[in-house]
Formats: sequence, C-alpha cells, structure tokens
Amino acid sequence: MSGVNMEISKDLTIPKLFLSQCRKYGDGKVAMREKEFGIWRPYTWKDYYENVKYLSLGMMELGLEPGDKVSMIGDNRPEGLWAEMAALCAGGVAVWLFQDCMMDEVKYIIDHSDTKFFVGEGQEEVDKALSIKDECPKLAKVIWDDPKGMRNYHQDLLVSMKEVQRIGKELDEREPGLFEKTIENGHGDDICLLFYTSGTTSLPKGALLSHWNMLTMGRNLMSVDPCYDTDDFVSYLPFAWIGEQMMSISCGLQIGYTLNFPEEPETAQENIREIGPHVMFAPPRLYEGLTRQVQVKYIDATWIKRKIYETGTRIGYKVANLKFEKQAVPFYLTILNWIGYALMQKKLKDHLGMSRIRHAYTGGAAMGPDHFRFFHALGVNLKQIYGQTEIAGISVVHRDGDVKFDTVGTPIPETEVDITEDGEILSKSPSVFLGYYKNEEATRETLVDGWLHSGDKGFIDEDGHLVVFDRSKDVMTLSDGRPFSPQYLETRLKFSPYISEAWVIGHERDYIAAVMCIDYSVVGKWADEKKLNYTSYHELSQKDQVCDLVQAQIEEANKDLPDPAKIRKFVNLYKVFDADDEELTRTSKLRRAFVEKRYEDIVNALYADTDTVHMDTTITYEDGREQRIKTDLQVRRIDV
Amino acid sequence: MSHVWLPCGDYHQTYEEDQGWWQTTFIKTKMVLLLLVVFVGIPQFLDDYWISVGTMVGYTAMGALGVQLLIGYAGLITLGHAAFIAVGAYTSTLMVLQVPWPQFMIDWGLAYPVSILAAAVTAGIWSVLFGLPSAKVKGFYLILTTMAAQFITVDFILTQYVSQIGGRGQAFSLPPGTIKIGPWIIDTETEVYYTMAVLITLMVIVLANLLRSKAGRAWVAIRDNDIAAEALGINIVWYKLLAFFVAGAMAGVAGAFWVSNTAALSPEHFPWFWSLWLVGVILIGGVGSIHGAVFGSIFMVVVMELLQMAVIPLSIYYPKLLMDFAFIKDMAFGLAICAFLIYEPNGLAYRWWQIKNYFNLWPFSY
Repeated sequence: MSGVNMEISKDLTIPKLFLSQCRKYGDGKVAMREKEFGIWRPYTWKDYYENVKYLSLGMMELGLEPGDKVSMIGDNRPEGLWAEMAALCAGGVAVWLFQDCMMDEVKYIIDHSDTKFFVGEGQEEVDKALSIKDECPKLAKVIWDDPKGMRNYHQDLLVSMKEVQRIGKELDEREPGLFEKTIENGHGDDICLLFYTSGTTSLPKGALLSHWNMLTMGRNLMSVDPCYDTDDFVSYLPFAWIGEQMMSISCGLQIGYTLNFPEEPETAQENIREIGPHVMFAPPRLYEGLTRQVQVKYIDATWIKRKIYETGTRIGYKVANLKFEKQAVPFYLTILNWIGYALMQKKLKDHLGMSRIRHAYTGGAAMGPDHFRFFHALGVNLKQIYGQTEIAGISVVHRDGDVKFDTVGTPIPETEVDITEDGEILSKSPSVFLGYYKNEEATRETLVDGWLHSGDKGFIDEDGHLVVFDRSKDVMTLSDGRPFSPQYLETRLKFSPYISEAWVIGHERDYIAAVMCIDYSVVGKWADEKKLNYTSYHELSQKDQVCDLVQAQIEEANKDLPDPAKIRKFVNLYKVFDADDEELTRTSKLRRAFVEKRYEDIVNALYADTDTVHMDTTITYEDGREQRIKTDLQVRRIDV
Repeated sequence: MSHVWLPCGDYHQTYEEDQGWWQTTFIKTKMVLLLLVVFVGIPQFLDDYWISVGTMVGYTAMGALGVQLLIGYAGLITLGHAAFIAVGAYTSTLMVLQVPWPQFMIDWGLAYPVSILAAAVTAGIWSVLFGLPSAKVKGFYLILTTMAAQFITVDFILTQYVSQIGGRGQAFSLPPGTIKIGPWIIDTETEVYYTMAVLITLMVIVLANLLRSKAGRAWVAIRDNDIAAEALGINIVWYKLLAFFVAGAMAGVAGAFWVSNTAALSPEHFPWFWSLWLVGVILIGGVGSIHGAVFGSIFMVVVMELLQMAVIPLSIYYPKLLMDFAFIKDMAFGLAICAFLIYEPNGLAYRWWQIKNYFNLWPFSY
C-alpha cells in the first residue's frame, strides 16, 4: 500500500480510523514494538485494539464522559499511546505533559484543563499527582502502569492500568458493542487534543485541536512525502511535543507504519540504530549532537580511516553543493560519490541509524547551514519543517530536491501562507486549531478570519520559500549600519566539535566579537593528548594552546564570511552557559539580554584596548555549593 | 543484545532470533565458504601430507574444545585431559577388538560408530569421577586433582592393567578393515580426514548449542563468580560435574577418533605433556571462545610442521637438530606460550575479534 488512500471526511475521527485500521491489519501486522529485556517485543494491531478497548471501557466505567480531559505523563511506551487512544475512543480529550515538567507547571495544567483522569507511568508520576490532588479538586482517578515501587500505595484515588482493563473487560461482557457504539458517536469537529504550548514569557496556553485538524495535517504532509505501511518509525521524543503526535498519531495511524519504542530514553540513540527508521522528525539539537559525535570520532580515528573519511566527505560535499545549487552532477562525480558511498558513507549512515532513512525532518528551531550540508553530503534527505502547535504541527516543508538551508520550504497542500505588512507570518489550513482553552482573548488575537497569527517574523523569497526569523530579533546591525545575523554566526561556530556554546555580540558596535564556551570533554581529551595540565574548566579554557585552538576554529569559520560578519575578538568564558543560571532557556536558546547584563565586564573588555579582563564572581553549583572565581580571561584579537 | 554485530535496521522480535546462528548474509556467506574449504578445498586439493596435518589440527581441536569448556567457560582448570582421551581410545579399541559383535553389526559397519558413543559415555563418567573433588576444591588444588586423573588413569590403570588385555604387551593394533563406518572402511588419509571433519563439526555444534542454553549460562556464571552463581540459585556442583561430563565425553570421541588415525594404540600416545599442550593451545587461541580452541590448534600444529620443515634442510649440517626435534618442539611450545602471554594475552581469538571490529566500526575506531 502506498501513499494516502483514506478519504478524510468531517465525520471521520481518530478512533474511527483506529478501528478500521485494526480491522484491516488484525493479527497479521505489527502495530508497535517496544524494546524490553533485549528484544523488540511486538504488538499486533489486534493486541493494540484489545488493550485500547478494555482500557477505554474501563475509563468509561470509572466515569469518563465525552469531553472529559485525560492527562498523561510518562516516557514513550506503548501504554502511553494506548491510554491516549483509549481516552479518545471514550470521547475524551487527551492532554500530554512533559516528563520533566516542574511541579507548579503540572499543577497549573491539571487544574486549568479540568483534568478528570491522570495517567502516569509509575511511582514518580503518581507522586506528582498525589502531591497536587488537593489543589485540583476535579481530579477523580490516577491510573498507573509500572508497578515498581507501588506496593505501599493504597489511596482510593489510585488504580492500576491492569485493573482498569479488567473493569473494562467486565463492562464489555455486560454490554458488548458499547466500545464501537461510543466511537460511532464521535465527529470530526470534536476536540481530541488539548495541547499546552510552552510559555517562556507567560503562562502556558492550551490549544484545542480537533480530529479533523490532526487528520488533515497528516494527510497533507504525506501527500508531499508519502510513507508506507511497511515503514518503521522510532517514537522517542516526548508525546507532549506536537511533532511526536504528528508522526505517531496523525501520520502513523493513517498509514499504519510500525511505531518502535526505545528501551529507555538513554538508549534511544542505540535503539534507533537497531531499527533503522524510514522517517524521522527531531529538533535540531539531535542532529547537532550526531554531527558532533561524528566529528569527535573522526578526530580519534586512525590515520588511514581519517584519510578515507576526509576523501569521502569531500566528494559528498561537492555533490551536495551542486544539488543545493540545482546544477547537474557531472558523471565523474557520480562515480566518485558511488565509490565514496561504498567506502565510507554507507558504513557511517549505518552507525548513525540512517541507512534506511527516506525523509528526515528537523523543526522547532533554526539549524545551522553547516549541519544541513553535513547530512546532505552523507546522502541523508534532511528537510526543514515549519509549523506550530496551533496548526497541528506543520504548515511548511522542504520538497525533495528543492532544499535551501536558509529557508523552511513551501506550504503543504491546502495550506496558505501570507506575510503581513509588518512581516508577521500568517497561515490558513484545515488544520488550524479551534482556539485556546478558557482564553478568549488570546484566541481572538491569534485567530483572525481563519488566519493563524504565528507571532514569527519572516518573508517569502524569490523561489516561493518561506524564510523565518527567530522570535527574538534575529538581524543586528553594526554601528555603521551593516547588518549581520548573530544566530547564523553562532551555529557556524558551534559546528566545531571543540566549541559547545557561542555568543556573538556586535549590535550597534564597531565590529563583531564573540564569547566562546569550549566543550570540556572534547577539549579536555585534546589537552590530555597534548600533555597539558589543567584542573578545572576555567583553567583549561584560559590555556594559551586552548585559546589558539579556539582561534583556529574561529578563523576557519571566518573564511567564507563576508567582511563585516567576520569575528574580530573573542574571549573564552570560564564556564558553559547553563539553563540553571538562567543564561539559556530550557530549550537551550541563549537569553541575550540576560547574558549581556551578566557579563558586562567581558563585553566592555571586548570593545576596549586590553588584553585581559579580570573576573571576580561567585558561581553556584547545582547542589548549592558556591565557589568564588577570581581569574583573568584572555582577550584575543583575530586579524582579518 | 545480540552477540554479533548487526547492521542498522536488523533487529530481533524473539529470543530465538536473538540467539540464532548465522544472522546476517555476510556471516552466512562466510560460514558456507568455510565449510566448503573444510569439506572440499582441503581434502580434494591438497596432498596427503597436508591432509594429515589437517587431521592433526582436528584431533587437537577436539581435545582443546573440552579443555576450553572446562577452563574457558566453567573456570575449572584441568591438567589431566589426555587421560579422558585415553579412556575414549581404549574403550573404542577394546570394544572393536573384544566384543563378540553379531555379524550384521560388522557387515553394516556399526561396531566402530557404536564404540565411539560408548567411548563418549565411559570417558564422560570417568571424567565426572575425577571432577568430584571440584565440589570441594578450586584453583591450584583442582589442578592437582586433575593431574592425579592423568597419573592414575594412564600411568597406572591403562599401562599396568588395560594394556595387558589380550596378552599382546604394551600396544594394541587394529587389523585392517576393523575401522568401518557404514559401508566405508577408514584407511586412507582422506577418509580419516573426513571422519575428523564430520566429528569436529558435530562437536562444535553441540558445544555452541550448550553454551547458549541454560547450562552454558550457568557455567559462565560459575566461572565469573561461583558464590554469586550459587546465590542466584545455580546448583554449582551439578553444573561443574556436567561440565566435566561433557568435556570428558568430547575427549572420549577424540580418543575413539584417534584410533582410526593410527590403527594402533599405546599409553604413550597420551602423556601428561599432551594435557599441558592442550592447555597451551587454548591459551594461544584465546580462553573462553570456541574460535580460540580452533585457532590455537591450527596455530600449534601448523607452526610445528613449519618448524620441522625449516629444520630438515639444516639437518644436513646439524643432524642432531632432526634427531632431537622433540626437544626443539617443546622449546618452541614454551616460547610460544611466553610470547603470547606477554604480547597477546587474550589469544588469537581476541585478535580475530579486533580485526572484525576494525571493519565493523569503519570509518571510525569506536
């Protein structure tokens, strides 16, 4: 079976689709696998159906009415997906929480969403629910799955997933056909998901998405990039992220590809390699991590392996660059690339778990062009996605063979994208959400005549591709009015494995300067090999040789930058930017205004005629210990 | 986790698949080629001399497999393995010569095959008998009790009593035509080689299967930490004795096979030095690996043959070299062990693993 052959009408709901897929595949096809005790335990569509059915009936018996909210928290496991599907089948609305949500955030969401049932994976999640139950009076039941550590929990509120399924089975014997009947009552315009968007500035807002929203989004994405029911997909990113819902539910259910759940979040990387998915969607951080891993391994490889890798990538880059420029690849390069593939790329893709990948998507934040080129040089079809929770995940994507790494691509079918006079990106599609839950005002601001106001700035380039700027001001100008993009420079610098964070400054100043954070493990290893002594991060960062190393990395990045965008001065910071110090957001974005104030001395020194800057600060460790740091940082000048 | 390196996108849904043999096409091709070399390449394309070298390799490997099981997998150090090979050889020979077989058994060539099975059982039981002390002692003390097996069995019982059966003095000889398997009389180098090839293949299959079973896991647990193994509910005495039985049975088969190669039998074929030699074989090949037993056997036998070939031209000038070759061989054995312990303490199997890893991890090193 290929492509999408499912007619999506207003009458269709996710549970109806679920039912028809279960009937179609039954016992003959694996719906999902979970790695447990060393093997990939399969669950057929029939297993999936039975688990969801009894869980759903059990929830109904325990008092779940259509429209009630069911909140879920936990790692990616089949049970989590069953709970979500069971809630939807009973006519409920699914709410997902991030696994690492803070207590007050959990409380806010449970309370604000009027959650009736809370489904937690195990003891940790149950503890969270129990500690907030007094403040959330609407919470009626807490369902748990993993019995580890649950022996001494006897609260009336608690019920195990097994018990819920047993109750459901009893109900099924009393009233056969109730499950199917309940599903029949659903309508495409019913709400299926209540998704809270992460609020960095204000409280989280709950976006209401209907079955119709989710299903049309999946169909439109797959009409661009078809998937097949023989495909494998690895589900390891939080279900509370709309991207994961989009792949696991919207696309997964329509096509019927197999979802694979890793053993533990820590083993996800290794498990992905075992499965070798055909499709993947992940934030840029994951791809950046893979690139760094390859670069570090390359540094440690033996001479002959390094030379082969270098040659292979050089050919790969040449071919990728020609393709980016939409030029024909000469015959000799095709041959060379084929040899490079046999000698190096094939094996490397195997290590990265990308042997079988057809489409790899990245979204959620900007990705540096170097990383983009890196994957295309390997022959991985990496594409950018743009969208937000409010449009069920995606509205714009790159087309095969039409990838430009500074854009996010063109709108998917049935989707219109427009730019307002002041540059705000608007979009309109069947997948645009219904509004924010209990927040009329925000809904009015965001949804105007069916157009979704994203709050992002951008423009449409000459090829019809959408270009998105960061929510914060992306383009800065030097004092002489020449513009530059700090984020672009930072992603370029971070392509070096020795550099973990970079902060580029220069707004309304004479030249561009940078504050660099070295990667402790990689530079530390490098220093060990060079027999350099050091006792701490800040000592290592100020070594002359390390400053030389970082300088070489910057000079390398400077090479193909236009003159005004070249970095003239830099300082190695004595610590890495950290979210705990409020220097980064929880999604690892640099908070420029904050660091500018915090490191005022360094910024001043970078624009003064000095070779060192004296620092005298106190840093707080996670365990509460404080350490006073008195040190002189080297200010390096780079000749361009 | 599967025990072999699998390419991306190759995963297992059941433990049967996970523990399966020949999991990838590459491994399948490799193994089929290996079988072709063993069953066609060597016997059909090499001369009798090299075929007999192959037979010696196989015989050494049969003994080494048992030693590998005891030392490498169950952690029971043995220096008396030649005794059990001897028990097998004598059981088989005596059965072939002394049992009044019904005519049809001889006609159908069943006497020798049955004697191989009997040799396996007898040697296995004999081995268990000398394995009994392992319930109480370990380490150095166990080495001494296994050496006792050697001296009691070969130097005392076999030499003084068993060899006297039939009143022929020290040595038995098997008349032509008595070593018969089915319709085939085993009397040429090629036939002996094929007998060896079939037997060693069967033994490797049996041992490899045992090692991925409950017994194999128990042995490894006992080797790694016997107290922890006992705490896990493993009956360590039972599994130690089982290891002795299996190792002894494989020694018995090796001994019964040896008879077909020499058509004669004497206690001198099983000196204590042969027990030591087998331990040297697995040290060089790699402890704790079936590959190791085979690699070690190939290395020791082939190196010794090459050494002999090197010595022959020199013997024109130094005739003593060839006369005293046995001592040169012992010295080379000692040197090889020393060199391996210093430069490749994990043996040839580890080197093989490293070579595979070099390509599996391509284009990087980890």
